Order: sequence, then C-alpha cells, then structure tokens
Amino acid sequence: MEERTSGCAGKGVFEAVVVSNRQIGDTFWKVVLEFSGEGAEAFGGFQPGQFVQLDASEAQLPPADKIPEELADAAQRDILLRRPFSFTDVTRHGNKVAAELLYCVVGPATLRMTTLKTRSKVSIVGPLGNGFSPPEGKKLVLLVFGGMGTAPIQHVGKALMTGEKKNDIQIVAFAGAKTRRGLPFEKLTDEISEQLGFSIREFARFGMESMIATDDGSAGYHGLVTDCFTEWLKDNKIDASSTIIYSCGPEPMLSAVAKIAKERGIACEVSMERRMACGMGLCQSCAIECRVEGSDETVYKMCCEDGPIFDAQEVVFGH
Amino acid sequence: MENSVDISVEFAGLRLSNPVFTASGTCGYAKELGVFIDMNRLGGFITKSITAEPRMGNATPRIVETDSGMLNAIGLANIGVERFVLERLGELAEMKAAVFVNIAGQTVEEYVKLAERLAGEGAIAGFELNISCPNVKQGGITFGTDPGQVREITSAVKAASGDKALMVKLTPSVTDISAIARAAVDGGADALSLVNTFTAMVIDIKTRRPILANRTGGLSGPAIKPIAVYMVNKVYSEVAKERKIPILGMGGIRNASDAIEFIIAGASAVAVGTGSFVQPGCTERIVDGIGRYCSENGIAHVGELVGSLAV
Repeated sequence: MEERTSGCAGKGVFEAVVVSNRQIGDTFWKVVLEFSGEGAEAFGGFQPGQFVQLDASEAQLPPADKIPEELADAAQRDILLRRPFSFTDVTRHGNKVAAELLYCVVGPATLRMTTLKTRSKVSIVGPLGNGFSPPEGKKLVLLVFGGMGTAPIQHVGKALMTGEKKNDIQIVAFAGAKTRRGLPFEKLTDEISEQLGFSIREFARFGMESMIATDDGSAGYHGLVTDCFTEWLKDNKIDASSTIIYSCGPEPMLSAVAKIAKERGIACEVSMERRMACGMGLCQSCAIECRVEGSDETVYKMCCEDGPIFDAQEVVFGH
Repeated sequence: MENSVDISVEFAGLRLSNPVFTASGTCGYAKELGVFIDMNRLGGFITKSITAEPRMGNATPRIVETDSGMLNAIGLANIGVERFVLERLGELAEMKAAVFVNIAGQTVEEYVKLAERLAGEGAIAGFELNISCPNVKQGGITFGTDPGQVREITSAVKAASGDKALMVKLTPSVTDISAIARAAVDGGADALSLVNTFTAMVIDIKTRRPILANRTGGLSGPAIKPIAVYMVNKVYSEVAKERKIPILGMGGIRNASDAIEFIIAGASAVAVGTGSFVQPGCTERIVDGIGRYCSENGIAHVGELVGSLAV
C-alpha cells in the first residue's frame, strides 16, 4: 500500500469496459471493469477503501421473470443518481487496469447492473474519498466485516499481503453475515470451521487466516461476528500497540468494533456509508457526525470527501 | 461551431460569456466541481447558501432518490460568512464566471448584515437572496411565500448591497408565483431565479416513517422540469418581460435541449443543479449545445431566443 491519499488528484469521469459480470452465490454479483488510457492512470492509483460512483441508468432491466418478487415494484422506478461502490481488487495488466466490483441486488440500480454485458461500457466517477491508512509500525492487522462490507476489506487485505511489507505483518479476518447466503464468497469449503482456519479462499490465497460467523449459525461461529471477534481476543494474547483493526459493515457492527478497540487500546479504522447524491463533495448529503478532539463538540464531516474511512473513535455512531 | 453565434448575455447589469450557471448548493464553494470541469467556461457561479454563523445542517439521511428526481434536506450546512470570506473567496476571485453568493438568514436583519459584510468584496458580482429554502425551520421559505415580506426583505437587502446585483430566488410552493415575483421586483430585485425545489416527502412503507431525517425535503431533477418551465414562462409573461427583469431559469436541466426550453420560456440564463451530481461535466456540454442550437437555427445571438415561445 502506498501513502494514504485524500481527495485523489486523478479523479474524474471515466468510461470502463465490462470484462465479465457474473453471479456469486444467491444474492451477490461481481462485475470486472477495465480502464484504459487516462482511466487506467487514475485507477492505477486507487487505494483500498476508496470508492467510485457508477451510472447504471442506461443498463436494461432483466426480463420480468428474472426479477425477484420483492423487487418488482422497485424495478418500475427510473434511476437518476449514480451509486457508490468500493472495489474488492484492482490489478494492472500492461497499460490497462482491471477493477473487481462486488454488488448485491437490492434495488432498481443493482437490478439493472445484472444485465451489463461483456464489452459494454459504463460511466464511472472516481477514485473518490480516502483509503485505509497504511498500517505503519503494525505487526497484526485484524479485519472485521459483514456482508457487503467485505468489498474494501478484501481489497485492503490482499494489497497488504502482496505489498512490500507482506513479510512483516500477519492478518486475521473475521467475516460476518446473518446467514450463510449473506457471505459474498465464491466457494466456501463444505465444512466451515468455527475455528480460525483458511475457510475463505479469497483470504486464504494470500495467506490470511479467516473465520466466519453467522447470526443463525448456518455457517461457522453461531452468533454475531463481533462476539466471535471478542472471544478470539480473549483467547489470543495480542500486543495492542502493534495491532490495527480495519472494519466495514452495518453501523451497529462498526459501533461494537469501535467499542472493543477502545476498551483494548487498539487502533481502528472504519469504512462508513451514507446515502449520497454525488459522492464528489458537491451536495453535502453524506454527513457523518464526528467528535472534535479535546472538546465535547461534534461536527459533520462528509463521508465522500473526508471519508469513507474514519478513525473509529472519531465517529459518533447511531444511524 | 459557435464562432458564428454570440452566446454571451447581459444579465442584471453584468456581461456574461454565456447563459449557463451552476445552481446554489449543488457545486459546493466551486473547488469541488472544479476538479471535473473548467469553471471558467461557466457564465455564472452561485455558491451554496452562506449564513452569518456556521451551520452543521440536518441529521442524515439528507437525500433520497425518487422517480426521475431526488429530495434533499441538507439544512443550509455551510462554514459561515467569516470563514467563507477568509478561506473561499480567494479561489472565487480568480474565476471568469460571475460569482453570486447565495445568502440566507432567519431574520431580515441577518440578511442585511450578510449583504453589508460582503458588499465590499470585489470577487462578488451579486447576491442570490435565498427566501425559498424548504429545509430550515426559521427563515428561508417562510419569507418567500408572503408578497409583503418578500418586498420588505428585498428592499432592505438591496439597500445594503452597494453596487452588487441582487437576484431573488423564488419558491414554487405558492399559489401564484407571479405575485411573489412582482413583490421582489417592487422591492428592487435586479433578477429573479426560479424555481427552488418543491417541498416533498418519501415514506418507507416498512417502517411507515419518512425516509429523510428532516421528514420533508426539496424535490429536484428532471421530474420537476415541466412545472419549472411553466413557472418561468408565467413569471416572464406576467412580470419580468414588462419590468425588463432577467430570469435565471432552473429545475431539472440536464442537457442543452432542456436549457433551451427554459430560454424559450423566458429565462435569460439557466442554472444546473442536480444534473451535475450525475454528470459533473454537463454544464460545459450545455454551453456547447446552446451555441450549436443557435448556429443550426440561424440565431445570431442567444438573446433572440429569450421568451421566443410561439403562441
């Protein structure tokens, strides 16, 4: 990982070409986008944790029989605004850059995205926002994430384990979801251990240990990922000062992770999410309430420009 | 292509290179949009609303998308006039576009103080008086719906504005927008901008709660365009034409065709807001497209189009 950048200078509106677009499990999809020319230059510098705004307004709806019943009403709605996504991976191939985007079909835009065909073009604004800080001086990186929060976490983990300092750090990943279906991974081993292991291929490939927790116990640890994480912390002696947590997922989960980190004096960064209109600092929609150091005051920072990565202790959770 | 045609406009005593503005609250303080476009290609730039004291704005969610539109309830979040002068005016001074500062307050005195504070700043060409924000509890729209108050606040701010142009931004959430427009002109407005957003609500049927933390928000985007075009034409034909007051038309403009509709309806210039969120470069394309339309239709000067509606 290179230096963390804020408000990346290379951001712009770029056209990406769809390389592939396929379903992963029941609810998730992965589209691979390719940038060339100026887009490749801009996205070659994409930092894990940054995001993009994708315009899905021109994509077609799937045929009526392919639209899930619960989305039939939403499918009738025209879409106007771009949608924010982070990447699970960004790789350079010669003078082109490929970016992998994980999405979950939840509304009219993501429904349209499922019909994006290979070689079709998509308008992307980015790279936007900051990225995770490089783990300077840290030996242990703990990744705690849930559902769609997998995307930037998978990227930061891989970037660290393939980067210059890969031999100096150990990474342990804790993936959570309500049920097994909510885990956005290609292939899970049949027997998902409750123990730490190499059950998630996407993490194991790069030498990261991983553990799964599901609220209903349909895979791995039976319970919340934060409970699973707390138990692990109890069982393992770690040196808080040389450890950092990166976390992304639903806000109650982030809030719990922030609390755990505070109690144990572990550095922690969280990836936040808000409804956004522009993602570029124009509209000021995506306010995040933040503490002002050394005072009782709070201020609103913008998720798109000041984040989406924030110091966990800075954020006032509760949304 | 637009070499043969003149798309410059005379607007509230200012000579603008073209009739395209960015709308208040949709391009930050300029630097944010400047990453994506050449701001010098704009005819005019309007800052987000500036208030006497900094404002944090409303709780989130502050936006929600609707059919062909969106609701916002930002709540006039801004850094306050003193920081604005100190930190942002410098960048604005370098812009070729005419800079209008949108001012908002809770009392007439507050608006007057803001105008007095900024009237001496050379970087500013004019003020846009925000008496139409639907998302704050005091001030904003409560002024803009009563002709008596509109006239009073306009004349008070005009007296404090020195040589700056004063544009009054109108809300569409009234029975007769022409009555409000007339009051603003009577009060001394040099220009009118319309329309601000329409007060609206979206409900989450699972929770039965409004989606926005503010409960209601302002509807913008293509959904409001035909109503905005109608209102511009109404104000043009009932007030502005006779009183020779230019209109800055806005509401759902995304491309040059949209902009030209507003100009034909009676707008001397147009502003783009929500459109920039989706296509940050759309203002530049609109400038080019207006030139192309004039050229293709044998219009030597864009001014000939203003209010050219055939009836």
